[in-house]
Amino acid sequence: MKNILSILCLFLCLLITAQLNGQPNCQAYKYFGDDLKYEACIAAEKRAGHYQFSKEYQIALDQALAIDSSFAFAYKAKSTAYLKSGDFITWIALMDKAVYYNPKENLDYRGWCRFQFFNDYEGAIKDLELLDSLVDYDIGHCQNGFYHLHIARALCYKSMGQKEKAISIILEQFKNPTHYAGLFDYLHLGVLYLETDQYQKAIEAFKKQEQENDLAENRYYIAMTYKKLNNKKEYLGNLTVALKKYSDGVRLQDPYVEQKDKIYLSQIKNELEIANKL
Amino acid sequence: MRLFPSLLLLLFLIGCSEKGQSDKYLRWVGDSVFNEQLDSTNFQLCNKEKNVNQYFHLQEGMQYKGEKIMLVNHFFDQYKQVDVNQSGWIRIRFIVNCKGESGRFRIISSYKNYTSQSFDKRITNQLLELTRSLDGWEIQSKNEKTKDYYQYLIFKIDNGKLIEIMP
Repeated sequence: MKNILSILCLFLCLLITAQLNGQPNCQAYKYFGDDLKYEACIAAEKRAGHYQFSKEYQIALDQALAIDSSFAFAYKAKSTAYLKSGDFITWIALMDKAVYYNPKENLDYRGWCRFQFFNDYEGAIKDLELLDSLVDYDIGHCQNGFYHLHIARALCYKSMGQKEKAISIILEQFKNPTHYAGLFDYLHLGVLYLETDQYQKAIEAFKKQEQENDLAENRYYIAMTYKKLNNKKEYLGNLTVALKKYSDGVRLQDPYVEQKDKIYLSQIKNELEIANKL
Repeated sequence: MRLFPSLLLLLFLIGCSEKGQSDKYLRWVGDSVFNEQLDSTNFQLCNKEKNVNQYFHLQEGMQYKGEKIMLVNHFFDQYKQVDVNQSGWIRIRFIVNCKGESGRFRIISSYKNYTSQSFDKRITNQLLELTRSLDGWEIQSKNEKTKDYYQYLIFKIDNGKLIEIMP
């Protein structure tokens, strides 16, 4: 039941995210009397059906910006192709404009993408914390819906070596009654506990992850925790499950980038060799 | 009747304007056109230019023999730190053809403020040569047809030291 609820929540989150990042409702601009933005919005609709990398897509947005150069949505929509091709220079120039004209609706995306695509931890933290200071509502989830942005922020601190701070941010977020466990929250928390030598807490987190979303990574790291505790049976047993799950494709996977705490097949195999020799 | 020449002129101007915008872009953002000054003629696409994919089109992420850890080890084992006060990102983008060969390498770089900035040649030349020497690119195929695809690597540099590789 808990799993079904989590999946439903994630679906809802993705739906909301898709709505927020899709074409805005042009009529809303007209309703509020912003005729210029309405015209720009209608021009931007011409990109419909075109791939975001294509010239047709980009030209439609250029035409929208020619009508209203403060139409933040068009800068953001243009930026995505540059982001996905790794062109951080053009991407940030476009996203800076989107943030300039509408910080509350664009700092989340700029902050998240800085983390996801460029491992720019300092920049991501700065954006997400600025957003948090500007709004009185929950800053929400990242673009792909995998993480609450406070969990993403915690992963940034972890990547900068501030592991205790990362743990405290995650625990603080868990206290929020509106927070539901993300697909990988307990995995990352468990790894943080493992890396700070808090083995019992690590095991508790990995077991929660097992309930939510049992991945090869979860089994690998719980095995490494049992190794630290000299529990050979659990060490070997979980590595064997990790190998099976990895081979079955039940692992961290992102089409664009490598997720934090990802492990590789060779790492599991190497560890299994060590475990079998004990 | 006097309206007709004005209308023609307007249509002409709109046409010019759209052509101007169209010329600004290639087929796709980031496409690399063959440049005889930069590119080896030994590297050939297997399919037409208009059919070159992006590495993520198959939804499987970057595909390298032995997975990304092999590629990362290739760089960290061989890259020699350069003692300079330069930190930021270097992106090397290229095409992998249907035989797993790579070509059309292009570099962009910026310091931490994201503005275009060149790094010390000892850094970029090393990274470029190490990228050129990668020989484990997986061949992508869809519906039993092999594809050419764009791939990039982003190197995060801290004071001349290689610290992370993306994607």
